[in-house]
Amino acid sequence: MLLIEADGKALLQAAGIATPHGVVAAELAPKLKIPGPWIVKAQVPVGGRGKAGGVVRCETEADVNTALKRLIGATIKGHQIQACLIESAVANSDEYYLSLMIDPAQYGVRVTLLREGGVDVEQNKPSAANNRLCVPNESEIASAIRKLAASEPPARQSTLIDTGEKLARLFMQRELMLAEINPLFVGANGCVAGDAKIVIDLDAVHRQPELAALIEARPAVYPDAIRKLHDGFDYVEVDPDGEIGLLTTGAGLSMMLIDEMTARGGKPLNFCDIRTGLLRGDPTRIVKVLGWIGARPNVKVLLVNIFAGITDLAEFANLLCIALERTPAMKAPIVARIVGNGFDNARTIFAEKRPDIAVEEALPAALNRVDAILRGARP
Amino acid sequence: MIGQLSRHTPVIVQGATGRAGSAHVRRMKDYGTNIVAGVSARAAGTSVEGLPVFADCRAAVAATGAQVSVVMVTPNGVLAAIEDALGAGIKLMVTVAEGVPVHDALRAGRLVRDAGATWVGASTPGLAIPGEMKLGFLPNVSLRPGPLGMMSKSGTLSYETGYRLATMGLGQSIWVGVGGDPVKGVRFPDLLDLFLKDERTRGIVLIGEVGGSEEEDFADALAKAKNPKPVYALVAGRGAKEGVAMGHAGALTFGDVGTFTSKQARLEAAGARVFATIEDLIAACGRDYLPK
Repeated sequence: MLLIEADGKALLQAAGIATPHGVVAAELAPKLKIPGPWIVKAQVPVGGRGKAGGVVRCETEADVNTALKRLIGATIKGHQIQACLIESAVANSDEYYLSLMIDPAQYGVRVTLLREGGVDVEQNKPSAANNRLCVPNESEIASAIRKLAASEPPARQSTLIDTGEKLARLFMQRELMLAEINPLFVGANGCVAGDAKIVIDLDAVHRQPELAALIEARPAVYPDAIRKLHDGFDYVEVDPDGEIGLLTTGAGLSMMLIDEMTARGGKPLNFCDIRTGLLRGDPTRIVKVLGWIGARPNVKVLLVNIFAGITDLAEFANLLCIALERTPAMKAPIVARIVGNGFDNARTIFAEKRPDIAVEEALPAALNRVDAILRGARP
Repeated sequence: MIGQLSRHTPVIVQGATGRAGSAHVRRMKDYGTNIVAGVSARAAGTSVEGLPVFADCRAAVAATGAQVSVVMVTPNGVLAAIEDALGAGIKLMVTVAEGVPVHDALRAGRLVRDAGATWVGASTPGLAIPGEMKLGFLPNVSLRPGPLGMMSKSGTLSYETGYRLATMGLGQSIWVGVGGDPVKGVRFPDLLDLFLKDERTRGIVLIGEVGGSEEEDFADALAKAKNPKPVYALVAGRGAKEGVAMGHAGALTFGDVGTFTSKQARLEAAGARVFATIEDLIAACGRDYLPK
C-alpha cells in the first residue's frame, strides 16, 4: 500500500534523511511558522499529484489559504483529500531521483539514481549508468548506490551515498516494496527529500509496529488498510456514492464484477473479498460488510456472489439470513448469485427465510437482475 | 516438473495435520493425487488420512522418494517450509498461504531459483492436471480434461471461468494458479514455454489482474515465441483505486505502473485477445474449440 507523502517523510526522517520544514493542515492554515515561499501538496496516496493539480506553489499566506480551500475535500483519482502538507520551498538545489524498488522477476532490489528528477522522470530510460539490480540486503544496496554515485561531482558523492545508505537500511528494516525520492534536492547543505513515495507491505505490518502506528494514526486516510488489519479480510470502498453494494468472495472475481458492472453503466460501491472459507459458522464478517454497505446513502441493490468450491452454500445462506436480521440498515433489494456446493439447500433456505432475495445460479442472469433493479430505481 | 505430473507422481504435504490441511489431503486423495506422506514437526509419528507423518521433509523424502510438496502452513511459516523442502531435494513446491510477507517471498524465490526447483505460490489455490491429479484446492466442479491451458492470478475468477467452460464442455490441459502476490514463484511468462510445448494444450487462457508486470512480461515472451498458440485473456481490476491493493497485495497500481491499459496494449500487440467480460471470453473459446 502506498503511504501518503507526510507518512513516507516521517519514515525518511526517522531514518535520518532530511525533509523540508513542513506542517500538515486539515483545514485553513494557522499562522505559518515556517518561511515561504511554500508548496502546498494534497496528501492522497497516488502518483501524478502534480499533473492532477494537487501540488501548488504559493508566494503569500493568502495564496496558501486559497490553495487549501480549493484542495481539501476535493478528489484526486478516487481519493478524497483529507489534508495537505505545507512545506517551505527548497531553493538553490539540483534535483535528483533516487529509488529502491523490488524486482519481482529477479528476486532483487532495483536501485536507480538519476541526475534529473522531477515530474517527467519516467521518460528517462533505465541504463547501466543509472540503474542497478542487487541482492536484497543492506550492504549490497549501499554498494550499488556508491557505484551509481561515483560519476557525480566529488562534493555531491558523499551526501548522495549517505542518503542512499540510510534509505537502504530503511528499505530492508521496514520491509518496503518501493522507496522513491523524487525530487531529491542536493545543495550546499546536503540532500533533502522533496517527496516520498513509499509502498509498504501490509502482510508484514504485523511485525512492523512503526508502520502499524502510522496506519492506525490516520483512520480517515487508510480506512481500507485498517479494515484489513483489524478484520482480516478485504473491503475497499471504490465510490462512496456507489449504487451497487457487493458482498462477494474472491479478489479477482470481485474486481472483475466491478469492471463489468461499470462497463454496463452501473456504479459499484465497493470491492469485497469476505473469504467464505474462514467464516466458520460466525456471521460477524457478513454483519460488518452489510453495515458498511447499509450506511451508504445511494445503495440501490446488494449483489451477493459466492462461488462455493468447498464452502457449503446452505451454511452461508443461514449466516446471511442471520446477518440480515442483525443489520436493519441494509434495506436495498438483494440479488444472491450462488453456485456450487449445496446450491439446492441454500435456495430452499432463502425461499423459507428471505423470499424477497432473488436467487440466481448463473452470473449473467444475476447481473441482468441487478440492471433491472437499477432501472426500476431510477425515475 | 509441472509438465510431467501425473496420478503416479508421489506428493508429500507439509502442514498436513492442521484442520484445513487434513481436509485438503483427503480431497486431493479423492481426486486422484498420489499423496504419500505428511510432514509436521509437532505430529511426527502419527498419521493423517491413513498416511505416515514425518518430522521434516528430509525424513519424508527418504521414506517415499517424493519430489513434490504441497505446503499448507501459515504465511509466516512458508519461508522455513520452503527451506526445509529444498534441503530435502524437493523439486516442486506449491504453497497456498495467503499473506506471505514480500521480503520473505524475495528470499524464498532466490533459494528456489538457486536450487533449480519450481515454486508455485505464495498464495495459489493450486495447480491441476484435470482428470489426473491436483495440488491444492482447485474446486472439482471447475476441473475437466480438455484443450485449454489455464494460468491465473486469481482463484475465484479462474474457478468461475473454468466452471463455465467446463459446463459448456470445454476443459483444461494444465491449470496453474500463480497467485496474486507481488513477489511469487512461477510467473505467467515462466509458464509460456511449458504450455507451448505441451501437446494436450491447444489454446491458453490467461486470467490476469492489474498490478506488477507479469502480463506485460508474458506478452513480450509471446511476441518472441516461434510457434505461438491462441491466447484468451482477462485482466481484472480496470476500476481499481490507485495506491490501494484490491484484496491481492499484488493488485496495486501507482502512476502508470501495472495499469489495465498497459497490460491490454502489450497483450494485444503480442497477438493475445483481451476480453471485457467473462462471458465474452467463454463465448470465444466455445467458438474456437467446441466441435462444430
